[in-house]
Amino acid sequence: MSRLLFIALPLLVLASIPLYLLVLKSPPPMPKLDLEEWWGPPELKQKQDTSIKPFEITFSETMVKELKERIKKRRPFAPPLEGVGFKYGFNSKQLDSWLKYWAEEYPFAERQKFLNQYPHFKTNIQGLNIHFMRITPKVPKDVEIVPLLLLHGWPGSVREFYEAIPHLTAVSKDRNFALEIIAPSLPGYGFSDAAVRPGLAAAEVAVIFKNLMARLGYKQYYVQGGDWGALIGSAMATFFPKEIIGFHSNMALTLSPAATFLEFVGALFPSLIVEPELANRLYPLSEKYSTLLEELGYMHIQATKPDTVGIGLTDSPAGLLAYILEKFSTWTNPDFRSKEDGGLSYRWTKDQLIDNLMLYWSTKSIVTSMRLYAESFSSRHFDLKLDEIQVQVPTWVLQAKYELAYQPPCILKLKYPKLVNASVIEDGGHFLSFELPEIFAKDVLKAIGEFRKLKNVKTEL
Amino acid sequence: MSKKTKNKSVNVNNLDKNEKSKTTKDSSKFKIVFGVFAKIISYLFVIKALFTIYCIYLVYVSLTNVPDLPKVDVNVRWGVDNNTHDTRIRPYRVIFSDAMESEIRALFEDYRLMERKIKSFKNTAWTYGVHSDAFAQFFSHWIFKYKFRERVKFLNKYDHFLTNIQGLDIHFVRVKPKADKNVKVVPLLLLHGWPGSVREFYEAIPLLTTPRPDYDFVFEVIAPSLPGFVFSEAPTRPGLDTYEMAIIMRNLMRRLGYTQYYIQGGDFGHMIGSHIATIFPSEVLGFHTNFPVNTSKLSLLTWLLGGLLWPSYFGNGIEDRMYPLKDKMEFYLEETGYSHLQSTKPDTIGIVLTDSPVALGSYILDRFMIFTNHTNKFEDEGGIDKYYDFDKLLDNIMLYWVSGSITTSLRIYKETFAGSRLNNLAQVPTSVPTWALRLKYELFQHPDYMLRWKYTNLLGSTNLDYGGHFAAFERPKDFSDDVFKAVKAFRNFK
Repeated sequence: MSRLLFIALPLLVLASIPLYLLVLKSPPPMPKLDLEEWWGPPELKQKQDTSIKPFEITFSETMVKELKERIKKRRPFAPPLEGVGFKYGFNSKQLDSWLKYWAEEYPFAERQKFLNQYPHFKTNIQGLNIHFMRITPKVPKDVEIVPLLLLHGWPGSVREFYEAIPHLTAVSKDRNFALEIIAPSLPGYGFSDAAVRPGLAAAEVAVIFKNLMARLGYKQYYVQGGDWGALIGSAMATFFPKEIIGFHSNMALTLSPAATFLEFVGALFPSLIVEPELANRLYPLSEKYSTLLEELGYMHIQATKPDTVGIGLTDSPAGLLAYILEKFSTWTNPDFRSKEDGGLSYRWTKDQLIDNLMLYWSTKSIVTSMRLYAESFSSRHFDLKLDEIQVQVPTWVLQAKYELAYQPPCILKLKYPKLVNASVIEDGGHFLSFELPEIFAKDVLKAIGEFRKLKNVKTEL
Repeated sequence: MSKKTKNKSVNVNNLDKNEKSKTTKDSSKFKIVFGVFAKIISYLFVIKALFTIYCIYLVYVSLTNVPDLPKVDVNVRWGVDNNTHDTRIRPYRVIFSDAMESEIRALFEDYRLMERKIKSFKNTAWTYGVHSDAFAQFFSHWIFKYKFRERVKFLNKYDHFLTNIQGLDIHFVRVKPKADKNVKVVPLLLLHGWPGSVREFYEAIPLLTTPRPDYDFVFEVIAPSLPGFVFSEAPTRPGLDTYEMAIIMRNLMRRLGYTQYYIQGGDFGHMIGSHIATIFPSEVLGFHTNFPVNTSKLSLLTWLLGGLLWPSYFGNGIEDRMYPLKDKMEFYLEETGYSHLQSTKPDTIGIVLTDSPVALGSYILDRFMIFTNHTNKFEDEGGIDKYYDFDKLLDNIMLYWVSGSITTSLRIYKETFAGSRLNNLAQVPTSVPTWALRLKYELFQHPDYMLRWKYTNLLGSTNLDYGGHFAAFERPKDFSDDVFKAVKAFRNFK
């Protein structure tokens, strides 16, 4: 009898871990959010201007001239080691062609016009002037206009959505709605002001965007996000299930202890956790972790010393280009690390990538953009345990082949119990809307179609 | 009636018997099955226990195993030209040319006039990195007070040389001691680390090369730049990790005519000096380190377990510098972002630091401040006014700038930490006499017993109540005193 106990006891202990993590553990409390937290200069609090002002992107002559001269003043760069491609980072042999193009061929005036093709605005939310684009389609009488908040990430910008927007806002006889797009720049990114004091992490950005949408008059809306946009959108759906009636993410991840536990279970019994043809997106775990270790150095330094690494990125256009384009190479396809040119011409033209760079360079926003990492990776933000609070909003995820991390539906459902669908595609990487705008738009529209059906069912009931 | 009863009773008896036999059969069957099952479980348990013990044994063996010394090729070529063997020792001078100065001043001006410079948060000291206000002071000194002509003269006060080792031009400073016929001259190889340079030793060199009472010897100092650093050439192909650097440094000493010498090292200099002492023990008369760590897995495990079980016992006198475990791990997590980035994408960050003097200056300044005293992170000035004057710090930064070597210097991280030979020699002990100097705020410190697993002849250690990572740079007197003390012990040890 006692021998059975020897076996039963440790087994019971082992069994209780998942029981605790998956069933018994109560979720952390919903964080207390200050919906009026002020992030701007305190003296402006009394005279907040709540108007919505049209805005135009300008590449001033002075800025362009200084940029060109600074590029000309660039120093000789150490040649890369033999045969390493992009494995040691951005291959300096590529710099000359990129910098020459930027300084001598990139058509600044044309690109400025291109960037202004959509209406831009600014409005002050909680002390910060938040920049956004708003594109409203013209629709026939029987088509309902439905708002969609599009959230970008790092090192991206609203530029990532430009090619997708025409597809997203298209009117089609296949659907009874058309999307109105609201695409803001995250606080501290591009033309949105940055906080003047610490504390503006992903959860607080979620509050800012909730207030933005309220300012614009939307009572209910859908949210789509990738990278930080996915994290912020997820926070919005967690905090504001009344306002957000559907959430689409192209970088769905949950890092709760229960999720990690299931990932380890799947390491032993993959068939329990993941479809066999998708198993190699998550397993073997050792490969996943070594890849993360290889690729997250930037995250480590930005989460701890953004102001140190930022000085150079503000001063050197070559530095900014290398730092940012390295991500557009590796996160599009990790195999691009073996290519001498980093595969940068595979999906985009130079103009497209430099447009995005210009939104960081012309606004000198790289440092404030990186501080989002420091704020969100603080112990204060971690202690909110957002990954352990479920999202009670219908959710749809789009999972591209080369996205940095993959989790199967059974793990995602821990965080997103109302997961309607996981679209798995055999193409594309991290910057999905930028890479595959049509496929991206199609999936978002499909998701919203389903969300609307669910909403109608609910209201009928 | 009685017949019936009799029959009944017989029947009942029969029934009982049948039932009994059935139950006996059933219960005995159950007992047998249960017994077999219990036996299997118990065997399984015994097997499991044996297996666990075997695993523990394997782990123990792997942790304490002394691997064979890997075969080293002392003639590996790293340069572009693998055919010429130039053994000349060529004099060299540090040059701050007019062209260099006007170029850097143009870049200074661009940054100075930049409209949207970084503005760090108020009241956050250096917790987000270098604070913009503190950096502005440093930058201002660089533009207006750092006298290029004077400083380059200072840097050339010692004799510089270049010599080609294994295809790479290796730069070094060589200083002969003041002559005194009663005093023996012994060679001392000084090895710097990242983001340091030979500049770290400038204040210590006069102290090391001047005879002192109570000592019958004095040093001739050879202070090279590591390959890829400052004026030492960088390789053109991957693979130049700390082992290969150890071979190059050893070959350098042989080129200079030394078959036996003392080594002093900190940071990467410690790792390289340690490798030389392990691979070429007959050539190293003694090894002094101001970064006394044992990099073996056993040491790491001991540090972790010791922190959980009994810090004061495992800390063995320096537990206040090794523990509490949680604080230390938080500190390492917070401070190793740069190392993580450099060990994976050195060329990306290298481009930034090559192209912008303020980038290079702030990046290196950050490390000097935190490594000298980690509490500097919580001071508004970051401690920049406390430990080094700005000229000293800028000399070091300028050596990286004028040589354009920051990218190639960063690659040592990727070669060493992301390479496949990280800990090959960690478990190979060396009997070369060793001495450990521990300054209070050095980043990693191991107690004597742990060091002895690797340095079997650790003759002694010095624990100072002050000072940080850059021992020679920050405390040249304490540093030199301790090196003399150590070498005296080395010489008396036989």
